Amino acid sequence: MAVEQDPTAQFSALYGEHHAWLAGWLRRKLGNAADAADLAHDTFVRVMAGRDLTSVIEPRAFLTTVAKGVLVNWYKRQALERAWLEALAQLPEAQMPSPEQRYVMLETLHALDAMLDALPPLVKRAFLLAQLEGRKYEAIAAELRVSLITVKRYIKQAYLQCLLLADDLPA
Amino acid sequence: MNAPIDPQVLAQAADWLVRLQDSKVSAQDRHAFEQWRNAAPEHARAWLRAEHLLQRLDELPAALAISTLERAPTLSRRAALGRIALALGVMPAGWLGWRAAQRQGWLADQHTAVGEHRALQLADGSRLTLNTSTRLDIDFSASARRLTLPHGEILLETAPDRIQPARPFLVHTPDAVLRAMGTRFMVRRRHGRTHLAVFDGAVAIALPRQPAQMILVAGQQTLIHAGQIAAPSPADDTLAAWTRGLLLADAMRLDQLVDELGRYTSVYLQCDPAVAALRISGVFPLNDVPRALAMLMAASPVDVAQRFGGYWQTVIPRAEHG
Repeated sequence: MAVEQDPTAQFSALYGEHHAWLAGWLRRKLGNAADAADLAHDTFVRVMAGRDLTSVIEPRAFLTTVAKGVLVNWYKRQALERAWLEALAQLPEAQMPSPEQRYVMLETLHALDAMLDALPPLVKRAFLLAQLEGRKYEAIAAELRVSLITVKRYIKQAYLQCLLLADDLPA
Repeated sequence: MNAPIDPQVLAQAADWLVRLQDSKVSAQDRHAFEQWRNAAPEHARAWLRAEHLLQRLDELPAALAISTLERAPTLSRRAALGRIALALGVMPAGWLGWRAAQRQGWLADQHTAVGEHRALQLADGSRLTLNTSTRLDIDFSASARRLTLPHGEILLETAPDRIQPARPFLVHTPDAVLRAMGTRFMVRRRHGRTHLAVFDGAVAIALPRQPAQMILVAGQQTLIHAGQIAAPSPADDTLAAWTRGLLLADAMRLDQLVDELGRYTSVYLQCDPAVAALRISGVFPLNDVPRALAMLMAASPVDVAQRFGGYWQTVIPRAEHG
């Protein structure tokens, strides 16, 4: 049953041989075992979702590369969460979303932030103004001091980035 | 898991999202949109994804969301690249090839195919990454560590020699001989020119039949061609984003961007002179040129015209609507 080409067997082998090592590597980076265990888990989830493991020749170099991305993502998430709590603290009690709503919003914000990260700042700004504030394209063009056609292009660029990465949105 | 949707169809959906949310949207636009959506099941699927995205964004309270996103610190360029690579499912070159290098021995020719990346560790511990369509000869002798690069692109991180006295580390291209001085640098030979960018340490450039040398230090790049070294300009290591499977365009000319993408596909890609001077910013995946082209079409007023069953593609101007 367990042939060499079987992806499940390959994954199990990778996990069995390197999971403890990766958790240790992450613990040294983070200085705490609980977060390290979570991120080691995330890394393997990425690896499993990702690719053909037959091409992995240096497993530990491969795993640390994936783990570095996971780590940056995690740091960014921590920062976003702090910013979120600060923004929430400014809200009057009556407008405070429920804990469930807050959780869903934070997840969406994190996904959105990850999708928009690589876009040029003006593109990101045009998109947020249009999509979140519901501003008219003409108003955005005036604020950013670019032409109307450019604003539309910026927003389209951001939409496409989101659509291409939409598989990544948690359901 | 959803079946993948053609990036060009997603680009069309993005275009509709923009048009339908325009305050000047007309009944005609809406009609044209319905026709587009009903024209193919893939269109309908792309639109479903678009609607799902809108729904999720609508759940965000505007003031709270904007204030959070603007409060959160922005990542450095390098960190953002790593994160976007993760999101795009692009894998860096750095983890392939160790075994292949050993099998072929150290004194060897290395070739990469179109779209291929390879990372090697040399006998002295130096690390080498080969980009797409590259030919490299590796020759370590008693007197020198020598690479010859007739064509292609490499990123080299040299290690101190294990043999004493240390042998010089040299990279020969048809235009110059480059001597590494404890360093990380990128060399590209293309279109009859050598492009050198230094990220750490320094590199000495010697031209054939000329006694003088020029030293390029970290943060500088130059072009070497026909016995001339151009005045150095600033360089940062996002130039080596290809080692992460990405192309980072920073107000890059469109013809240059198309030329770059063309290196990673066997399709013949060219740029219409009418749009050659457009400036493009964005991050494009190199392992998926169709997706990169769809992102390009979203980022700029261009279309891609296809001929000969798609083996010949030209980036052309698009008539703007609305």
